[in-house]
Amino acid sequence: MAELLTLARPYAEAAFKRAKETATIQEWAEALKFLSVLAEDRDLLTIVDNPRVGKDNIARLLLDICQDNISTEAKNLVRLLIANGKLSLLPKISALYEEHRAEDEGYVNVDLFSAYPLTKAEQNKYSAMLEKQLHKKVNAVVTVDKALLGGILAKAGDKVIDGSIRGQIHQLAKRL
Amino acid sequence: MQLNPSEISDLIKKKIENFDTHLEAHTEGTVVSVTDGIVRVHGLSEAMQGEMLEFPGGSYGMALNLERDSVGVVMLGAYQHITEGDTVKCTGRILEVPVGEALLGRVVDALGNPIDGKGAIETTLSSPIEKIAPGVIARQSVDQPVQIGLKAIDSMIPVGRGQRELIIGDRQTGKTAIAVDAIINQKGTGIKCIYVAIGQKRSSIANVVRKLEEHGAMAHTIIVVASASESAALQFIAPYTGCSMGEYFRDNGEDALIIYDDLTKQAWAYRQISLLLRRPPGREAYPGDVFYIHSRLLERAARINAVEVEKLTNGRVKGKTGSLTALPIIETQGGDVSAFVPTNVISITDGQIFLETGLFNSGIRPAVNAGLSVSRVGGAAQTKIIKKLGGGVRLDLAQFRELAAFAQFASDLDESTRKQIERGQRVTELMKQNQYAPLSVAEMSVSLYAANTGFLDNLEVKKVRDFESALLSFMKTDEAALMAKINEKGDFNDEIKDGIHNAIERFIKTSSW
Repeated sequence: MAELLTLARPYAEAAFKRAKETATIQEWAEALKFLSVLAEDRDLLTIVDNPRVGKDNIARLLLDICQDNISTEAKNLVRLLIANGKLSLLPKISALYEEHRAEDEGYVNVDLFSAYPLTKAEQNKYSAMLEKQLHKKVNAVVTVDKALLGGILAKAGDKVIDGSIRGQIHQLAKRL
Repeated sequence: MQLNPSEISDLIKKKIENFDTHLEAHTEGTVVSVTDGIVRVHGLSEAMQGEMLEFPGGSYGMALNLERDSVGVVMLGAYQHITEGDTVKCTGRILEVPVGEALLGRVVDALGNPIDGKGAIETTLSSPIEKIAPGVIARQSVDQPVQIGLKAIDSMIPVGRGQRELIIGDRQTGKTAIAVDAIINQKGTGIKCIYVAIGQKRSSIANVVRKLEEHGAMAHTIIVVASASESAALQFIAPYTGCSMGEYFRDNGEDALIIYDDLTKQAWAYRQISLLLRRPPGREAYPGDVFYIHSRLLERAARINAVEVEKLTNGRVKGKTGSLTALPIIETQGGDVSAFVPTNVISITDGQIFLETGLFNSGIRPAVNAGLSVSRVGGAAQTKIIKKLGGGVRLDLAQFRELAAFAQFASDLDESTRKQIERGQRVTELMKQNQYAPLSVAEMSVSLYAANTGFLDNLEVKKVRDFESALLSFMKTDEAALMAKINEKGDFNDEIKDGIHNAIERFIKTSSW
């Protein structure tokens, strides 16, 4: 997993830089999301992984599927990835692209886990708190997780802020 | 301490009352792969080098390789239950071990947990295992002796407080025996001892512990164990653990002696970890920093001055210097001291005690090779009387070695050569000493004086040791006052010289050996 990320990094960086230059950040994001869904498709994978199918054929097939959904530049990226045999990197490239975008636009994607469904007001309150903590705009996605028992748990990248009852019980157990 | 159930529940209640709930913020990662005690974790962008990482199931790991997307972690203890996808938490702490007086008399593992079945260790103090050695300003030169209690070592290769003296030799040459004798001889001197056993059989460690208990030496000793069955990570950190425990005494203005038995095995453990972490192998497949693991460890053995002690104890201890003396042990293969790790450690230490299989097998025990063994700083620390009397012994042995080849044709030799050879044979015989029988300064002085002044020359070589033991027991009973005086001060003057001389003459008249 780690190695794939390393391989995907230069592609994602290049894609993002190009998108910024041409002011097509949103389009690129959509194109990459579309492509990563394609690249994970089981039927398509059997063709891509088949050594008897030539690179040209794969390119033609993929670009046919894409049609006008993606820009010419994105199509060029697909050709490049096929030529380098790195088509499987697409989901990673998409994820890294999103990271670049979030950083550039100054917000963080936060997964908010709560034991009970949150009202709009509560969600805003937590978002404001997190913004203060992380010094960035917060883009929160709320998930209900009964296992937390109470309170909330926020995950931003690999940073975790644990305010749940479950976390506190764990802390207490460790202390005892 | 026996607690009844109601007390236990009270204790828990109190802990729950005092438990402050705070938001816990930490960095998390996911396990990507688990191989031979090495775990690769994705994420953990804020992990520090050497940081403790918490795994599910209460196990811990130490971050050793920090890479762009992942962290290479070496597991401390069991790792069989860890699976791909497990979450790993940063703790924000570098690995720490308990330190303090409470550890004396205990046997602990590489993480400082007691393994002797004597209950928990009552100490609140802890110290990180990796620390930077004292600086130049904090140090003081070595000028007090550590008495090992072996004639061959104290007279020819003296060790001072704060010195690093390597014990090197093949397997089965008595390296550990010297170390154990050194610990036994520290009884009542105030020097605290730490014995770090790395990669040894548990049975050998149990033997050492039993011997120390038999000789009443456990009370001032801590034993740190990372046996052969424990993970390479624990074998790698055990010396640092022991060193931190020793530094506690050093920093509190006391003297401590630490024995690393042995650093070859630590280097092996580190080689294993490094290769599994895919660090590039170098000479003998050791990683590039194998010198540094030993140099940073041994550099922490030092003597620090009173000012530094006062600073470290916040003024609690005044006017006392502190020291940590290290006796690292290196096992050579077939007497090859030019292998990678032996040459490294020889160059780091302040001298070496070189033990030889040949000598050991010919009955010279301790099997110290007096020619190859040196002590670079110990001379300044030697007790006056031993320094005065030991010089002659060293010279006698050096001359003897040169002439030893002629010993076979003794009949054709001139008078003075023959005398030198005979003196050498007797001194060699005198340097033999039983295990677990360390000698005091006074006892050693009497033996050395007898050899220097030629009292042994008229004896049969076979009789030398009988003569010595009879002489020493005579001195103990008839000259107790003189012996106590020598032990107290360690000075050498005409009065003491005459005292010893007359006593030996009186003993010879009894011819009771």
